[in-house]
Amino acid sequence: MNEIVQKLFFSAAALSLFCSNSVVAQTSPYRPKEILPPAKKAARVHITLGPELESAKSSWAIIRWTSNNPGGSDEHFGVVTYGTDPGDLKETAKSHIRLNRGHPCTIFRVRLDGLKPGTTYYYRVDSMEASGTSDGVKSPVKHFTTP
Amino acid sequence: MRRTTLIVLSVVCLTVLGAVMMTKGDEVDPTPQTYNPYPPGILPSDLSSELARVRREVTFIENEAIAEWHALPPLKFIGQPPTIQGSGYAAVRTLGKLMNFDQNISVFKNEACASCHMPYAGFSGPIPSVNLTMIAYPGSFRIRAGKRTAQRYTYSPDFPVLNYNATQGTFFGGNFWDARSTGYLLQSADAEQAQHPPVDTQEMGAPDTACITFRLSQAVYRPLFEAVWGKGSFSISFPSNTEEICETPGGAAVFGSNATPVQLSPADRARSNAVYDHWAQSISFYESSPAVSAFSSKFDAFLAGKYNMTADEMAGYKLFRGKGNCNSCHLDGRSTAPTPPPPEGTAPGSEDTGAAADTRPLFTCFGYANLGVPKNPRDAFYYQTTPDAFGFTANPEGFAYTDFGLGAFLRSGFGSAPNPNSSWTKFASTSDGRMQTSTARDVALVPPQCKSTDAPGPYFQKEFFHNGYIKSLKQLVHFYNTRDVFPFSVESGNCPAGTTEKVNCWPAPEVPQNLDMTIGKLGLTDTEENQIVKFLETLTDGFTTPYPDINTYTGVCKTGGNASTQGNSAIISAVAIRALMREKP
Ligand code: HEC
Ligand code: HEC
Repeated sequence: MNEIVQKLFFSAAALSLFCSNSVVAQTSPYRPKEILPPAKKAARVHITLGPELESAKSSWAIIRWTSNNPGGSDEHFGVVTYGTDPGDLKETAKSHIRLNRGHPCTIFRVRLDGLKPGTTYYYRVDSMEASGTSDGVKSPVKHFTTP
Repeated sequence: MRRTTLIVLSVVCLTVLGAVMMTKGDEVDPTPQTYNPYPPGILPSDLSSELARVRREVTFIENEAIAEWHALPPLKFIGQPPTIQGSGYAAVRTLGKLMNFDQNISVFKNEACASCHMPYAGFSGPIPSVNLTMIAYPGSFRIRAGKRTAQRYTYSPDFPVLNYNATQGTFFGGNFWDARSTGYLLQSADAEQAQHPPVDTQEMGAPDTACITFRLSQAVYRPLFEAVWGKGSFSISFPSNTEEICETPGGAAVFGSNATPVQLSPADRARSNAVYDHWAQSISFYESSPAVSAFSSKFDAFLAGKYNMTADEMAGYKLFRGKGNCNSCHLDGRSTAPTPPPPEGTAPGSEDTGAAADTRPLFTCFGYANLGVPKNPRDAFYYQTTPDAFGFTANPEGFAYTDFGLGAFLRSGFGSAPNPNSSWTKFASTSDGRMQTSTARDVALVPPQCKSTDAPGPYFQKEFFHNGYIKSLKQLVHFYNTRDVFPFSVESGNCPAGTTEKVNCWPAPEVPQNLDMTIGKLGLTDTEENQIVKFLETLTDGFTTPYPDINTYTGVCKTGGNASTQGNSAIISAVAIRALMREKP
């Protein structure tokens, strides 16, 4: 059952960058029975898209990725560890993300501030609950260069 | 010289160039108009006549409430504990309405709650030109003004007492943009809220809560108060100088730091406090009544299967819940189905009940977030840097003032109120910039003759977000959609040449800390943005039953222009303001 949900979701995600499109099928008039169940915590939380650079300015950048639903607290954080040395990602940036109980997946976006222009940064991403408990997704180390 | 720069930068300034603060005499306003620290062009030119208009409208509704009171059946307490059988709800709510529209409570007897919260604006700010320019409403002492937009108080009684949820790591409940009305004593954030404006220096301006008791003791509806709350409510010996004290605005130097200048015996002070609690509770019960929080929108009819949304409304609803992701914060009550047991999964959100859907979704999570709204140089607060005739200076920080919202409250900071729970102070820095997730309900409510919030109209100019930076619902959705698509490291009024502010240039957030990243780049098309606006309009009360007092607007509607750049002609440059404020003696 969970597998089917996930398969459906993966195909939808493949079709569209917006993971949420798969859950908006809705008929009118609304009846309580038609309410979609809340997204389940995926058996294994993992990244389905990205991470990638969304945009970069000379002093800041946004990293973006999509996970299947991490569950846990609605208040969530995207976490990016980064640095100029791929072997030593010593900086951490966290951004607030609210999970949507109706969505089977979540787009994480994290803003990295205080960057230097014309510099290559290496990064890896994770996400965590409000309590700090990691969702356990670890991306490979990727990189981008500020303009 | 610098002043000229400012004026040149602002079209609105040009139109009112040379105008004095008050263009028309205001015969009916008993206030001494003695405080004008504002550079030319900051106050709207029609302010005086608009304040007079609202006073007439408020008086009209107050008279209506008096008639409603006289139409009540005799109040009889029956049983144990004694209960006003049958008409108790009507009595308390009518009392609350009488209080809400009573201008005599304010220091100069010229401002009621409703002066900043009128029914035809969804109980938010009733003056289009104020919404367009100074964003904060004038207080009873003209022209002191606050710093934020007058929130709609539709559904505000539904906010719980402010609490910290350790699982979610954040705060829920409370009233005001910054949660400073916690409800810790009255166990109602909304009731406690009603105790703030009467003694807010920039609002109704009384110097002591006992002044409200004193004025209530003189109110025409005193018999109703006594019938509900007890005959002895006003058995208080007020000293002979009470009126003199109560017509001196709070913050006046003569009071020093004394919050209780009316000298009462401990027993009388306790009685007065009880009256002030009952004032708050009566008002709150009015606010939660169908006269204010009506659940009578198209959307409510849709939930009941009695309204078919148009194609655009339905598309907007799907976007609100889908690609727009709006319902992650503005909960639409759609996710309360049973949670499958582990190991298959657990629902995100532990308080899931598995019960049937919430058929009365409130479109808020009761939480707080920093959306990264830019600073609004128009905010009247920035200009109140010099003492008024009573020796009171609202904002010594001038334009350097930063609105940290919830964070400021938690650290009991300037511009907020004392935080009654010291164990929360440690959360201040992670709460900086966070503001109340307001209900999306009634955001589009306008006087019927004006039809819309958005140009080309006919429209009624509202103001959105805590500092009124946003002037139309189209802009509001566009902000959520493109904050991070068109970001510029500038302040309002200083977007680079070739860009248009609020269209393809968003100035930097006022508070960069704790920025919410759920929003900012949603990938909505122009049509999709418009569909979300259409959906927001379905949340307007008054569809299934007429909204009380909606027809009381006697001002004009605007037409022309377009929603994307609505109000842009009133933008003034932050850079010019800084220069001007430096120049000031
Ligand atoms: C001078 C204008 C003014 C007056 C008078 C005024 N208000 Fe307000 N009201 C505001 C502003 C501005 C805010 C938001 C303030 C903030 O968050 O700092 C507000 C917020 C509120 C809220 C909070 C809503 C929410 O969702 O948290 C309620 C409720 C409310 N007002 C009710 C009242 C009542 C009751 C009175 C009279 C006792 C009153 N107001 C008098 C301007 C006014
Ligand atoms: C991360 C949580 C969050 C998300 C997601 C979110 N909002 Fe909001 N909303 C807020 C907060 C916080 C405020 C008040 C912000 C302020 O004044 O600074 C607000 C205010 C509003 C208001 C009321 C404005 C007013 O002045 O009364 C409307 C309408 C609204 N949002 C619509 C939307 C729409 C439409 C979307 C989706 C495109 C959306 N929101 C997504 C948190 C959110």
